[in-house]
Amino acid sequence: MPKLTVVISQAQGKNPAKQQLEAELVAALSSDANVEVSLVPNLYDLAADHSATQFLRSIPGDVIVLSWLFPRAARWILDRQNVRGHEGVSLLESKSDDEESDDESPARKNGNGRHGPDDAKKNGNGNGNGHGTEPDLRPVPNRKIYCLDLRDHSDAKVYLGEIRRIASEASLSLVDLFSFLKTQPQPERLEKYLRPLDLLAEQKSATSLDDDDDVPANGEVVRRRWYPVIDYSRCTNCMECIDFCLFGVYGLDPLGSILVEQQDSCKKGCPACSRVCPANAIVFPGHKTPAIAGADGEVGDVKIDLSKLFGAPSAVELAARERDVELVRDGRDIVGLSIGIPKRLKDKPKKPRDELDDLIDSLDALEL
Amino acid sequence: MSDLTFLMGKFEARIPTDRVYSDNHLWLQADDEPNCYRVGFTAYSVRLLQDVYFLEWSIDPHSAVHKKQEIGEIESSKAVSTLYAPVDGTILDFNERLLDDPSAINTDGYGKGFLFRMQTEVTFLTPEEYVAHLAAGWDKTEKLIKGQYN
Repeated sequence: MPKLTVVISQAQGKNPAKQQLEAELVAALSSDANVEVSLVPNLYDLAADHSATQFLRSIPGDVIVLSWLFPRAARWILDRQNVRGHEGVSLLESKSDDEESDDESPARKNGNGRHGPDDAKKNGNGNGNGHGTEPDLRPVPNRKIYCLDLRDHSDAKVYLGEIRRIASEASLSLVDLFSFLKTQPQPERLEKYLRPLDLLAEQKSATSLDDDDDVPANGEVVRRRWYPVIDYSRCTNCMECIDFCLFGVYGLDPLGSILVEQQDSCKKGCPACSRVCPANAIVFPGHKTPAIAGADGEVGDVKIDLSKLFGAPSAVELAARERDVELVRDGRDIVGLSIGIPKRLKDKPKKPRDELDDLIDSLDALEL
Repeated sequence: MSDLTFLMGKFEARIPTDRVYSDNHLWLQADDEPNCYRVGFTAYSVRLLQDVYFLEWSIDPHSAVHKKQEIGEIESSKAVSTLYAPVDGTILDFNERLLDDPSAINTDGYGKGFLFRMQTEVTFLTPEEYVAHLAAGWDKTEKLIKGQYN
């Protein structure tokens, strides 16, 4: 029987409203014969060797991922964990709805941009969405990954409706998930993710003293993490981030493409590299600013932001300052604007300046 | 000396001459102690914000700050903004009255609607200089304001 896998990525912390929405979805989907539902810890916090990560990699067909993250963040977190597929398009209204036009944006250079392994069989299916969101030359399995943001709606019915719509439209994989898992090394470790009701019950009975960690019953600790996630549909491989970050987070793959190499060398709370990225391709899913946390395009807030008028530093100034704070914490010397920023400051602005730029400059030009 | 005004479209922003100004649109009025000022939004700022709904400070009283350091958030009927320290100095205390009800920013922005008290040795703009500062940026902001506030 064809199955669509629905993965629910749990919220960080113990917000009862969030937990309830997750539980309602699990309960409703567990009795749905057309989908296979599973519950995993927060995607962003999963280490590469966590059993839930292995489980995600083992899912063979179409997947719907519901998480408390912007869909763009969720998609590229999965990408980093080698969980790939074509982008499935959700019809749910989201709080930041601008993705269609945004995907056409010019940020995507390619050519020699991104390389895959030699045996990469390029997917011949000509990516269904036509937006070219997948990085070139990397193997993209012929399946779709739909990412839904659980923060968009509080009513489980809205998600259930969309899941059923996707289930009915999808050209579903005929692979039976259980039989697929049995060919994996540790099926029993992974199968638990397909028994989300049991997982929920276990988590309820397990009392964790440390609020910051979600400790599942099997003892696999999930700590809160903080690291950049690269959106390769926007990344131009310009190397600004690797020049800017002085903590060794970034690296290059053997073919010279930028890579978040040492995720856990990143400084908790510091989003500085995201601010210096000219393509806005670096996502910190946990940052309070939607544009940094992976909101698509302009954030749907009708209110004007007057921060620049009231003295906001430029993104580059702010990034340098944030980096200096982390350098001091590490007992190193501050570097201010002297390292890793010159490319952008030297280059003349490529975009036409807007009024605010001119205004700020005229303000700055006045002597105090 | 009578107040200066700056014309924002048809709106006359009143710029009192009994105080000094910062380039990020705050007024500063000397307090009792030396180098101490009460600080608030100018009529220009308030006109851009319109009705203030919410004000929150992200630093504690008696914090040393540097120019452009983030110190709080404001939300109004028309706008949101992060708030930044106008200059290097020390923020002494905040106007407690505003935390429950920020409406004094709109009703008495040059008086009871002050934001905080600050100690600094920096020199500020005179009222005349501030008006010139507004005039210099006005052509560029006019579109912005018209687009948002008509």
